[in-house]
Amino acid sequence: MLTSKRNRTAAILLGASLFAAACGSDGDTSSATTAKPGQTTVAGTAATTAAATTAAPAPAGGTLTIGAEQEPDCADWIGSCGGSSWGYWMMNVATMPRAFTIVKEGENWVPKASEVLAGEPTITGSPKQTVTYKINPKAVWSTGDPITSADFKYTFEQIAGPAAKDIYDASGYDKIESVDASKPDTAVVTFKEPYASWKQLFGAGFGILPSKILTGKDRSAEMKDGYTWSAGPWKIEKWEKGVGITLVPNAGYFGAKPKLDKVVFKFLADTSAEFQAYKAGEVSLIYPQPQIAVVDAIKAGVDGNSAFTGNTGNVEALWINNSKAPFDVKEVRQALAYSIDRDAVVNRLFGPLGVTKAVQSFNPPIVSKYAGTDFAIYKKDLAKVAELMTKVGYAKGADGYWAKGGAKASFAMRTTAGNKRRELTEEVLQAQLKEAGFEMTIDNAKAGDLFGKIAPGGDYQVALYAQVATFPEPGLSPITDSKNIPSEANKNSGQNWQRINIPELDPLVRLVDVEFDDAKRIAASKAADKIIADNVASLPLDPLPNILLWSKKISGPSDNPVLGPFWNLNTWTLAK
Amino acid sequence: MLTFIARRILYSIPVLLVSSFLVFVGVTKTFDPLQKFRIGIKDPNALQRAIDRLGLDKPVYEQYWKWLKGVLQGDFGVSYRTSGEVWPMITRSLGFTVQMIFWGILVALLFAIGIGIFSAIRQYSAADYALTGLSYIGVAMPAFWFGLILIQVFGVWLKQRLGWERSPLFFVGLHSTDSKGLNLDYARHLVLPVLTLSVQLIAQWSRFLRSSMLEVMSSDFIRTARAKGVPRRRVVFRHAFRNALIPLTTDVATQSGLLFGGLVITEQIFSIPGMGRLFLDSLAQGDVYVVLAYLMVTGVFVIIFNLVADLAYGLLDPRVRLS
Repeated sequence: MLTSKRNRTAAILLGASLFAAACGSDGDTSSATTAKPGQTTVAGTAATTAAATTAAPAPAGGTLTIGAEQEPDCADWIGSCGGSSWGYWMMNVATMPRAFTIVKEGENWVPKASEVLAGEPTITGSPKQTVTYKINPKAVWSTGDPITSADFKYTFEQIAGPAAKDIYDASGYDKIESVDASKPDTAVVTFKEPYASWKQLFGAGFGILPSKILTGKDRSAEMKDGYTWSAGPWKIEKWEKGVGITLVPNAGYFGAKPKLDKVVFKFLADTSAEFQAYKAGEVSLIYPQPQIAVVDAIKAGVDGNSAFTGNTGNVEALWINNSKAPFDVKEVRQALAYSIDRDAVVNRLFGPLGVTKAVQSFNPPIVSKYAGTDFAIYKKDLAKVAELMTKVGYAKGADGYWAKGGAKASFAMRTTAGNKRRELTEEVLQAQLKEAGFEMTIDNAKAGDLFGKIAPGGDYQVALYAQVATFPEPGLSPITDSKNIPSEANKNSGQNWQRINIPELDPLVRLVDVEFDDAKRIAASKAADKIIADNVASLPLDPLPNILLWSKKISGPSDNPVLGPFWNLNTWTLAK
Repeated sequence: MLTFIARRILYSIPVLLVSSFLVFVGVTKTFDPLQKFRIGIKDPNALQRAIDRLGLDKPVYEQYWKWLKGVLQGDFGVSYRTSGEVWPMITRSLGFTVQMIFWGILVALLFAIGIGIFSAIRQYSAADYALTGLSYIGVAMPAFWFGLILIQVFGVWLKQRLGWERSPLFFVGLHSTDSKGLNLDYARHLVLPVLTLSVQLIAQWSRFLRSSMLEVMSSDFIRTARAKGVPRRRVVFRHAFRNALIPLTTDVATQSGLLFGGLVITEQIFSIPGMGRLFLDSLAQGDVYVVLAYLMVTGVFVIIFNLVADLAYGLLDPRVRLS
């Protein structure tokens, strides 16, 4: 009896202590005492980015905890283990210097010379393309060493030099002939051939590497589990594998210093866990994928501030295999496009986020100035469907489906199995297409199979997935140029899985890759877009919006569709 | 006994070899470690570089043999995903799983023993019926559902209801980022996952113990002890419980071994970076060397705990002799 009483008392004490501890705020502690941040909820539209909330100045300090739904594989950004979006957003953007940053000008996100440079680089086109980067004398690493041209040279050599190994993506760097580092404050990059997207070099997903720190060492080993040096506003204090990443201010940063004392990213198992953790106050900001459950939860109401944007680098589309019947005929592809009310699909998926209109180009919204709007003609028009199908010999059968020579206008749609949003999209499309006379079946596959075998091998008729641009530069040649159809010539690594083979399109998409004159580049890109739309080489659907939710205590967040949601983390403040 | 142990270990080697080969073939044929190189990268040579680096152009048996030779020399290979050594990934994850198993089994045993004994000595009482009913619910309840309900109630609902800044109980990981050791933060993180893990174990083991207690309590030697005037508490705990413990010990040891690889759901729901999540993440990305190391480690644990069960059986019951 005595034992029983003692246990009960202990249990009550434990319970009381748990509750008492919960009243404290050991997660998001802040030394802020007076200011209160703004509390605005903003919804963007398909082409606009929601503005960040602004507020009265809040005092500096505090620890902010953020939910991360993915742990990066490594922090060796140029290595084959790199390429993680969350790794880039959390650590790369916070610590790596880059030649160009991404800013918003009007409705467009554009690359601008960063504070690492003393000004915009100068470019010459002949006899070979050269780019001269003048380095800001104030730009230094956290060790106090200046950022120099040797760092540019080292970065190039690591990615595309003779000794480069185990590299994730050398595109662009493989067009560099040499980097002249004879003057420490000036890097002169000479290209083997014209390369119009040169602004994404020494930045984008990689950044500039510190030659003084890394020369003579195994770069991958030094970086892959996190590194202590930095030339950004933050330093990586620790990366506890499986648990989280902690950033602290870089005291030697030459730009605007962070106002928070510490930022902790907690790794969460999935979008659902992320959302629950936000609602429970375990994390104060999340950046979830736009899954159905998330959109529904937002629709039902979530505490805090939010920003939704359709102005992203994403294009989710119906990728049509142009070499497979019945879509090897242009008119049938056009009829398919006229069968679908794309705006209704987008509205069904993302309406609660304010994203209601379909995208009209495979150039994503962040490069809208290079994008045509020619797909806008494809609205649901069953008379037009009948006209096109009849023109190429189809007739409607008693079952309501088009048929030709005994073969029904039937096809299978394939997407990543288990993705609820895409499965819902398929269901909506299936109903619309049935009405138009197309028999659509669903044959989904695991992501590994879809992107590993099915799509590259052309074993599909229509597939639903997204392409993501990581830099605001146009460039559809990888997925539309006929030379990139998987073949022996390109060792089956070509990404034109749609087997698009339109002779008049090839020179235009190639021109976009090499033209420096922006006006000519825009013209070529738009002309290419028109040809793609006329042929319905595939059918763009939605911009896969970004969603950012954050506690009312935080001031400063806004989404940058390229650099991610933490691009201006150094300006954020936290109220008590 | 040493011969017995040696023989058991020898028997397990071919089992591990065959299962590791089957898993190797299954994972390499089903999942694609090159997925991220196939979409979104403009570098036409990236894919081929990755194939060359990982040796994926070689026949499966050759890839397996290379791995096996490494394992025999203590090298479990390099992860496709992280480019890091596999063994530190396993040991790091194992640390989290061991904590979960330790606390889960401890809590489950304490409750199961208490409930099992109580139900046996109060057979057919209202409390016995109530506990029996709860046990059936516990056995039938899926862990993932129970875990999500706990999170919703104790993590989200309670926090909103009380209007606190954070919930009283946490459900992300086993400790806050800046916290270490056995402290209140650890306790607040442990409660929900341990409850999720142990509820089914409590239900099963308490039923198990109740049955064996009832069987032992009706034995002649118990009746004799009672007739000799041995106090009831002593009869229950020293005579009946000790004998009833034998089958439970076997079950606990066997299930403990299985738990080393079977916490996938609990770890996923509570974002705990243990063996289960490592397995899931690695499998999804075709990281075959990590999956194989996971298989070997969990296989070894199952073998060890089965062996422990057999040995414990012999120790607890002198009538049983290992041969």
